[in-house]
Amino acid sequence: MSEKAITRRSFLAGSAGVATLVAGGFVGFGSWKQAKAAEKTEQPVLATAHSMCNACSSKCGFTAYTIDGKLRKLIGDAENPMCKGKLCARGYGYSQIAYSKDRLTDPLRKNERGEFEAVSWDQAYSEIAEKVASIIGSDGPQAIAAVQDPRPSGKYYTTRFVNALGSANVYTHAAACDLSRASGFLQTIGASTYSSDIVNSKMTMFIGRNYADAIRPSSVAQLQQAHESGARIVIVDPRCNNTIAFADEWVPINPGTDLALILSMAHVLVAKGLYDQEYVKANGVGFDDWAAKLVSYTPTWAERITGISAGIIERLALEFAEAAPAASIEQGWRAAIGSAYRNSGETARAVCLFNTLLGCWNQKGGALFTSTVNSGALDEGRFPKVPKPAVPLLGLDDYPLANPATGSVLQAAKLAKDGAIKGMFFYQSNMAAGYANPAYLAEALGSLDLMVVIDVQMSETAMLADYVLPDTSYLERTEIPEFIDGMVPAVALRDQVIDKVLPNTRPVDQIYGELAEACGVGEYFPFTVEELADAQLRTVGLSLESLREVGTSFFADKAYAYGAVPIWNTPTGKIQFTSDACVKAGLTATPEWLAPSVMPGSDDFRLIGGKQPIHSHTQTTNIEDLMQITKDYDLTRVWMNADRAAQMGISDGDTVQISSSVHSGTVRVKVTERLNPTALWIPSHYGCSSPEQHTAYGVGLRQMDFVPFHIEPAYGSAMTEEVIVTVKKVGA
Amino acid sequence: MARYGMLINTKKCIGCYTCLVACHRQNNLLPTENFIRFEERETGTYPNVGVENIPLQCMHCEDAPCAAVCPTGATYIGPGGVVAVEEGRCIGCKYCMAACPYQVRVVNESTGTVDKCRFCTVTATDGTKTCSCVEACLTGARTFGDLDDPESDVSKAIVELNAKPIAGDLTKAKIFYVR
Repeated sequence: MSEKAITRRSFLAGSAGVATLVAGGFVGFGSWKQAKAAEKTEQPVLATAHSMCNACSSKCGFTAYTIDGKLRKLIGDAENPMCKGKLCARGYGYSQIAYSKDRLTDPLRKNERGEFEAVSWDQAYSEIAEKVASIIGSDGPQAIAAVQDPRPSGKYYTTRFVNALGSANVYTHAAACDLSRASGFLQTIGASTYSSDIVNSKMTMFIGRNYADAIRPSSVAQLQQAHESGARIVIVDPRCNNTIAFADEWVPINPGTDLALILSMAHVLVAKGLYDQEYVKANGVGFDDWAAKLVSYTPTWAERITGISAGIIERLALEFAEAAPAASIEQGWRAAIGSAYRNSGETARAVCLFNTLLGCWNQKGGALFTSTVNSGALDEGRFPKVPKPAVPLLGLDDYPLANPATGSVLQAAKLAKDGAIKGMFFYQSNMAAGYANPAYLAEALGSLDLMVVIDVQMSETAMLADYVLPDTSYLERTEIPEFIDGMVPAVALRDQVIDKVLPNTRPVDQIYGELAEACGVGEYFPFTVEELADAQLRTVGLSLESLREVGTSFFADKAYAYGAVPIWNTPTGKIQFTSDACVKAGLTATPEWLAPSVMPGSDDFRLIGGKQPIHSHTQTTNIEDLMQITKDYDLTRVWMNADRAAQMGISDGDTVQISSSVHSGTVRVKVTERLNPTALWIPSHYGCSSPEQHTAYGVGLRQMDFVPFHIEPAYGSAMTEEVIVTVKKVGA
Repeated sequence: MARYGMLINTKKCIGCYTCLVACHRQNNLLPTENFIRFEERETGTYPNVGVENIPLQCMHCEDAPCAAVCPTGATYIGPGGVVAVEEGRCIGCKYCMAACPYQVRVVNESTGTVDKCRFCTVTATDGTKTCSCVEACLTGARTFGDLDDPESDVSKAIVELNAKPIAGDLTKAKIFYVR
């Protein structure tokens, strides 16, 4: 690289920002492409462009610095609300996916021997279209389904394609993520999410939510700011996770019993009259029924279940009362409330009701429904409307509380096994390794007549497919804009920042458009992704070009204001202390104590999982930079409580055999004081079984292998931590 | 000439490895070429526990033992007090690795050079405002600057937070820790 081409600068030259630098030596990616086309130049061309990360679903905005169309470095965009100028280890590391030697290079078709062979795009499309036509002909369009882990273009194009075929069956990963949370919230407050105003809170409690390991940089910053300005931060988690750096207290709860803690804290508030009675009366329905049930949930009762002393439970409740309304239980995500236990959905309901007792909704420091901006209606001439499918999303009859926006993908797997769904498309979804028991899922998806996977690498899900279509990486394509909720709502763009690395890969928008054409529904895709992005942005007063310039743009006129009484979008128009839908689904009217489906005894453990800050599910383990850290720090180890380990004669670093009812495997142990004694903790990223992922293959154990296939009643989630394991020292 | 140094506040460190991967990516290092090494310490017993994450890297010692033992002068103390490595002179004898009490010298497996943290700010070019690890740190645990300038952020923070080298006066280290 010639250093002449860039403005050399030193630390002492001052704090000239990126903008100055761009003026000094870098050009926009578009200009670089033009320059490259116009002349053959010896000088390396340096360019910058804004885009959004794809290492997790936070989608942080960054500026990419490139040299001759290749990525040089990334710097988080200070304006982006997700990253606030910072990227995490995953974000830096995952950028290397573009240049991974394990990228999928060509469309693949599985032959009769079960081996993949490269085929042309046209051949793949025409064969897929033939099978789609055959399935629709025999079973109707409702036998077609798709699964996508939501990303801007992926979500739009997957949904449009499947809807165009006449099917409503578009699922997400939610059943192994936040389905119970979203669904329980919907039953209670009529919204699937809320945001805790941590920075302005006097007290915020996190239940099974871990900002320091499941990182969104702006959330880490908010937590740190709250902690440093004196907010009381309480971490309820069987594991003392790394968020403890910015917390005041760790509440080491027995896993699966968070519901008992919340019910008991509610008991204290109601018994002592320390709740916002006026607020409850004005906004709630069915409070008296819940209050009657709460009578028996004393702290002494909860102590036996949660392992947390009655004194601590009572103190936490009193601290909440003191801090209200500038206090809340944070919404949580995957663990505890999201999809872990038989009682996750009911725990989510209880969380909302507890926050209601605090009167904290839309109060400064409380729990907020922040502002949203979305694309307006588009010209139907250019962007034709897809007719609404005749048959609604499959699975909601069996799991009636499941959030209809995501459905229960596990029920879809069952329907595939039973033959009701015959053709499935997957976009950026590694369902087979991450959503539930892999052996069950392999059998269920193996029953399909047609399975198509669009991805960048040979995931375990791709291994099961009949056709694998190679996507471009996120750095190589422009997507439709991402609208971001917040105190000031925003929109950001994933844009192409590097040259296409592999010539025969295609971006997701193009793949679905061409698939649609082959399937005879191409009339719904007569536009490019740039045209769609630009049209969406013009409905909110922007354009593709204007957003490209800045990366992230804000809607200051739509800024959130404290104090507004939310519109409770429930059947009663109130906060539902009782829910008819829950009764209809076989649950109790108000959230009552519901024990987990399994409980460990004194000789075994509940296997619980969680994230490490260097990986996103199974998506990043094949990245060399990140997997090297796993190896250097022996991060595949399971965590075991020190007392339990001592009783079993297990020392730090020993190898143990872990066995559940469905799987067994060996791994080293990290002996720690940072774990509840009833739990064994396993990182959720490892155990890759795809030999084509040369870095990740065979490293560590896979959490989901140990979990039997089962579905949370009414809510449809994976119950990922309803599993008991025994542990045996190897060689003992 | 400046005398560069750094402060690392372990009370703010969440052990997320962001500094390490940022260092890799921004400096174009091999996956095994770790200029930063983490130590994790648990304190207390269940359930009253704490954890301390300690990132270690070249301390840019004024009396650098690695430079003293280098038989070819490949490791030297350069401008600003930055301990530097001249790739062409390194013969890969690994004396420096043996001599470094902080175990932060690391072999570049493709060239054989024994490399280390370069305080990359000093040679930063494209868009980097300060050392990659400092810029990347999510929690502001790191501060970089001129130790000879009493008004620099790092000098003021060292005084305010009573930061000390990680191993006392083992060497004249220029990274100061808050623990």
